[in-house]
Amino acid sequence: MEQLIEQLKAQIIEALNFEDMTPADIDTDAPLFGEGLGLDSIDALELIMLMDREYGIKLADPKAGKAIFQSVRTMAEYIQANRTK
Amino acid sequence: MRVISEIEITPTSVVLNGKPIAVETTGEKMLVELYRRFAGDYPKFFKMDTLSRLGFIAAEILLKEPMANSPKPTAIILANRSASIKNDTDYMDTISDGKYYPSPALFVYTLPNIVTGEIAIRYQIQGETSFYILDKPEDLEQILLSTFNIQPSTSALAGWCECSYANTFYAKIQIIWNN
Amino acid sequence: MVYCIGHTIISPLGEGSQANLEAVQAGRSGLKLYTHRFADVEPFCASLFDTPQSFVPLCIKSVEDAITNYQLQITNSKDTVFILSTTKGDNLDLITPAKTIAQHFGNPNAPIVVSNACTSGVCAQITAMRLLEAGLYRHAIVVGCDIQSRFIVSGFQSFKALSPEPCKPFSPDRQGLNLGEAAATIIYSQQPMANSQQPLWTLEAGSIHNDANHLSAPSRTGEGAYQCLKDVMEGITADQIALVGVHGTATMYNDAMETIALERAGLQDVPKSVLKPFFGHTMGAAGVVETILCAMQANKMVNDQMVNDQMVNVIKMLSGFGGVNAAIRLRCE
Repeated sequence: MEQLIEQLKAQIIEALNFEDMTPADIDTDAPLFGEGLGLDSIDALELIMLMDREYGIKLADPKAGKAIFQSVRTMAEYIQANRTK
Repeated sequence: MRVISEIEITPTSVVLNGKPIAVETTGEKMLVELYRRFAGDYPKFFKMDTLSRLGFIAAEILLKEPMANSPKPTAIILANRSASIKNDTDYMDTISDGKYYPSPALFVYTLPNIVTGEIAIRYQIQGETSFYILDKPEDLEQILLSTFNIQPSTSALAGWCECSYANTFYAKIQIIWNN
Repeated sequence: MVYCIGHTIISPLGEGSQANLEAVQAGRSGLKLYTHRFADVEPFCASLFDTPQSFVPLCIKSVEDAITNYQLQITNSKDTVFILSTTKGDNLDLITPAKTIAQHFGNPNAPIVVSNACTSGVCAQITAMRLLEAGLYRHAIVVGCDIQSRFIVSGFQSFKALSPEPCKPFSPDRQGLNLGEAAATIIYSQQPMANSQQPLWTLEAGSIHNDANHLSAPSRTGEGAYQCLKDVMEGITADQIALVGVHGTATMYNDAMETIALERAGLQDVPKSVLKPFFGHTMGAAGVVETILCAMQANKMVNDQMVNDQMVNVIKMLSGFGGVNAAIRLRCE
């Protein structure tokens, strides 16, 4: 799980172009949207695409993303349980 | 129409009102260098495509000049020849055969007028934003003349903002007052 | 103020403005489900030409139709400018097709392409009005066109913005937009044509405002759209407006934002024209197609005496990516 979390952080940094940021800068349990990383709606769509591309998870309803993208940890847990690759 | 201030950016040079600004890097790296020097507090910059970074940096340097920034421009009118082709090509890579993962973060920049939106958001400019595709920079002149003719009180951030390939870009943007 | 002296629409619903108006009045829609049109993309509902069209020939056909219908001989004049409204042009190239079209008609002037996202069709008419009012040209040929592609459909799908079924603008259970294809032409002139038989319209005012809020979502308060409406309503009141042609894409945010902007401008009780369920969202063509149909719908309202003598104004509004909003006001008498 910890390995997946680290890998996911690196993928998020790359997908969302967080230049200057390292995985260590992202708090595993901090909110991804709003205060924490301050992501917006386009970022949410990009995370949906990231889950499809890297883990073979198709999320048809973007509203379902709300619970999954609470933090890097919730996202990693969802990936762990649903990944097809 | 009165030109208040002018910036010209190429992959190897930056000239503000006739005076060169020294840079240590070239191409897209130079835009990042300029961002760190003149802005630095706007992480959204790193999400932008090169065309938007170019226009954003030009606006950032121009509007840091005290003279140019008061009053704030009411309109943003930009033009180029190749629309959003560089970013269009990047987006195409995400839908190539066998690797079909269309990127929404790239798709949003597949319109040239997005750069006008980025500048409008940064400076809270709620006036007109327009983007034209023209054969040559001189063709913008008649458009600006007719825009000012109908909106006499306009002051505009206006000019050419083009990025055709990676590390190939050109901007010549002015602040124009209509008095 | 400038005069419309000719127009046409070519869409999957028919060729010619009248044919398209009749299709709308008969309740015909061009929307269909497509499962194999483009590789990889998920099935989508759109209004596409049965036979895939090429961009430049379609634009040329549309201009030819407009000038033939109204017997105009202005295309090769140095007093005429071509203005193309498109978002993706001919396979991502916008200026080459514009030059090809102008050259085809022997026009000597540099063409202008307006690429202001989904507001382009209204912005192009504003550009035309300004150039004519400034005395730089006597006529402007505004062509709006977009052809759907794997590029565009995949992008809108990545945005989760497409409705899997025919769109339902302003409905509480709307699920998003449908894309569409069309080409349409409006010809504006400094003067009315002396021999004009059909009642056309004048373009009275236009306005463009940015929300300065978000690249892909409209302002929650409809600020830019409201500012546009306020500008084009200067000098008139809501009871002098026969019809408002709304954008009505059927995305959650667009329709909610437009409702707020319309209420803020006092236009909640004015009849609305909503055309996306017939044509889909034709992007660069939308502002041109929908302006023509709104004017024709308003003319019919006047002829059928559904409105009083004062109610001769029509407003067409649009919003698009990049936070841009645009509106124009026509007079149809």
